[in-house]
Amino acid sequence: MIFSSVPFLYYFFPVVILLSLAVSRRQQDGRRTAGRLTNSILLLASLFFYGYGEPKYLLLMVFSILSAWALGLLVPKSRLAFLVSVAISLGLLGWFKYADFFVESFAAVTGIPAEPLGIALPIGISFYTFQILSYTIDLRRGKITPQRNLIRFAMYVSLFPQLIAGPIVVYKDVEVQLDPYARTMTAESLYEGARRFLVGLGKKVLLANQLGQLAELFAGLDASDRSVAFYWIYAAAFSLQIYFDFSGYSDMAIGLGRMLGFSFPENFNYPYISRSITEFWRRWHMTLGGWFREYVYIPLGGNRVSFGRWVCNLFVVWALTGLWHGAAWTFVVWGLFHGLLLLLEKRWLGRVLAKAPAFAAHAYTLLLVGISMVIFNAASLQEAGEYLLSMFGLGTVSAGSTLTWYYLRSYGLLLVAAIVGATPLPKKIAIRIKERAGRTDFGKKVLEWAEPVILACLLLVVTAYLVDGSFNPFLYFRF
Amino acid sequence: MKKKLTVLAAVFFAVTLACWFHSPSEFSQSERRQLAQFPEFSAETVLNGQFASEFESYSLDQFPLRDPFRTLKAVTEYGVLQKKDNNDLYLKDGYLSKILYPLSEKSIGNAMDRFRAVYEKYLSDSEGRIFASVIPDKGHYLAADGGWPALDYDRLFELVASEMDYARYVDLTGVLEAEDYYKTDSHWRQEALADAAAALGGAMGIAGDLKKPEEMEVVTAAEDFRGVYYGQAALPLPGEPLRYLTWDGIEDCTVMNYETGETTGIYQLEKLEDRDPYDIFLGGACALMTVENPSAQAAGIDRELILFRDSFGSSMAPLLLPAYSRVTLVDLRYMKSDFLDQFIDFHGQDVLFLYGATLLNESYTLK
Repeated sequence: MIFSSVPFLYYFFPVVILLSLAVSRRQQDGRRTAGRLTNSILLLASLFFYGYGEPKYLLLMVFSILSAWALGLLVPKSRLAFLVSVAISLGLLGWFKYADFFVESFAAVTGIPAEPLGIALPIGISFYTFQILSYTIDLRRGKITPQRNLIRFAMYVSLFPQLIAGPIVVYKDVEVQLDPYARTMTAESLYEGARRFLVGLGKKVLLANQLGQLAELFAGLDASDRSVAFYWIYAAAFSLQIYFDFSGYSDMAIGLGRMLGFSFPENFNYPYISRSITEFWRRWHMTLGGWFREYVYIPLGGNRVSFGRWVCNLFVVWALTGLWHGAAWTFVVWGLFHGLLLLLEKRWLGRVLAKAPAFAAHAYTLLLVGISMVIFNAASLQEAGEYLLSMFGLGTVSAGSTLTWYYLRSYGLLLVAAIVGATPLPKKIAIRIKERAGRTDFGKKVLEWAEPVILACLLLVVTAYLVDGSFNPFLYFRF
Repeated sequence: MKKKLTVLAAVFFAVTLACWFHSPSEFSQSERRQLAQFPEFSAETVLNGQFASEFESYSLDQFPLRDPFRTLKAVTEYGVLQKKDNNDLYLKDGYLSKILYPLSEKSIGNAMDRFRAVYEKYLSDSEGRIFASVIPDKGHYLAADGGWPALDYDRLFELVASEMDYARYVDLTGVLEAEDYYKTDSHWRQEALADAAAALGGAMGIAGDLKKPEEMEVVTAAEDFRGVYYGQAALPLPGEPLRYLTWDGIEDCTVMNYETGETTGIYQLEKLEDRDPYDIFLGGACALMTVENPSAQAAGIDRELILFRDSFGSSMAPLLLPAYSRVTLVDLRYMKSDFLDQFIDFHGQDVLFLYGATLLNESYTLK
């Protein structure tokens, strides 16, 4: 089930929120059983949410939860339990996500024919495995104590708002919130959560899906219909699509969490306004970057090692970051490309960028991120190469074509809206309007009604797009 | 804060309740299709994911006020986002047209292979005259002005004319214009086909036997016809008249439908109530039918025509009928050409291959 679907919006979620509200009321009335019931409802809802589309993988997640919980009780005192727990997590992730990749790569390198195993990727396995790993590692480090309550631990791993696409929540950040008495559902949290959720839903359905249509349309064209200009439009469309897709989903997760009384970490902070790749990674998928820094980069020695070792660490981390996104060489190259750019910026380019005019630094960042996204979305390294050559006029395509201008005109306003939407400008404008309107009583009254009415209209328009059965993929499912 | 929450919650739960308690419909008239029904609920369908997948379809198909919501989406696409098309449909001067692009030479080749197989098996030894014509889709007349992508029509016509070298190609592009098509449907309007019929008749040497426009009466079957594109586009567009042409003697003509075994008249007005009112012309899609024209037989006309056609042929056949004692209509989408000789005695009849550009460009339904 995905958030941007009618079954979630109008069947699953209303039931969950009404049940949670009912139990939350009883809890506030001081009934002690209500607290346990709150967590049980959320856990059952999360298991239903996960098992709804792919029931067979529910068993896999339940096994992961049970093994991590049971071994977690022993981890602080047992190195063996720690190693077994990590091995189970990595083993399952490796088998389900990477087995075919290794088989195919082995066959390609050695020339020995090997049949792919045809293993399907369970949804969200990368996200919940990383959450389990962080719990296990932090236990061993003594940063946290084992969670003895199975329901709370299972909730930490499987809580439906962040189960399948993050943000990646580290146990120590939500440990307190797993206690139902530490959470509250107030009118304020419900409204703010709903607002955040609807903004994310709008980003996903009205922007990401439409941009995705353009990117898909381009990918389906005959080579003769493409042009240099269209390759760049494609690069821009996909870069914006993946941003609105993933940041929209993160907004929805954070909003749902807020409605249910949780506070999840932010995952995006306008990455496309960055002036360097280093800054980009401080703004893009922040919880993943934080996870790799905390659990891979620093344990490897971080930058407090020799230059050669540091370079090695950097590339290991970025190769793994690429692989986390998908079991394909395109993702590895994408990760290494970013690793290389970060290396260059740390050693030399960073100083140049710091002194460069802002527009030049922005252009540099957007250009390289756009190029990296073309690699990211390519079906193969060969396709990535062809696309990149064509973008720079080194392919066989013409500079422009009638079809290019048609789609540029058709999607032009959407592209402009998406570009503006990827900056803090709309938020700044909204704040300015609120400030100005708030100076008068009339303005305050208008504001009080305008915002929920606008949000309700947004909900109806998004619903209209969903009902028309439009294009609705979710890119980060494959991770 | 409570007021704000109340507004939002009221809208959200109103839609939710409507979803839960909305009575399901069997059929969507605007989209001309059966709607998904509540899926089978069993351990098997739940465990294999079938229930979830079918429930998704059910929840979308049975969404309360589905048509107005689809209209809201279409209006947002055209009006707010200024998209040039929605679901590949565009609106130009009140005419809805579908983007037909690019030209699939592979598909054209497939159609040509199918037709050649018919020619070699049944027609090469026959002394009948063979004609071919392509009916351009509406986009031929609308796309260029607005910059919408369209087929390379010159290449299409050139391919058909050269590949069907056993037939005389009849060009219809000059005798048609956008107004000759329905505004909300893919088809041409029978009452606007006098020029096209005359062009075919001229090439086929039967022009003298065709009815002149003044010899025919235009009858309005429905004032509020909404075609196939209307439902797909979901735009709030008005209906338009659905008209047909009659002439003295047409009421004596009979249509034998080999699929149903029924014999009917040329125009089947009861089809106005069915999913596609365009089916009033000869009853709509059918693998094989024969139309007998007693008036022609009485006048000593013994010419016969075999019309290989798609749905466009249903409204053109009655206009060619006065020149023939019998017209046999074959739709290769619904029957394999291998079996034709079980039903048709090929003995020198005129043969016309009359197909729309849309079908030729997506010809894999031809058997």
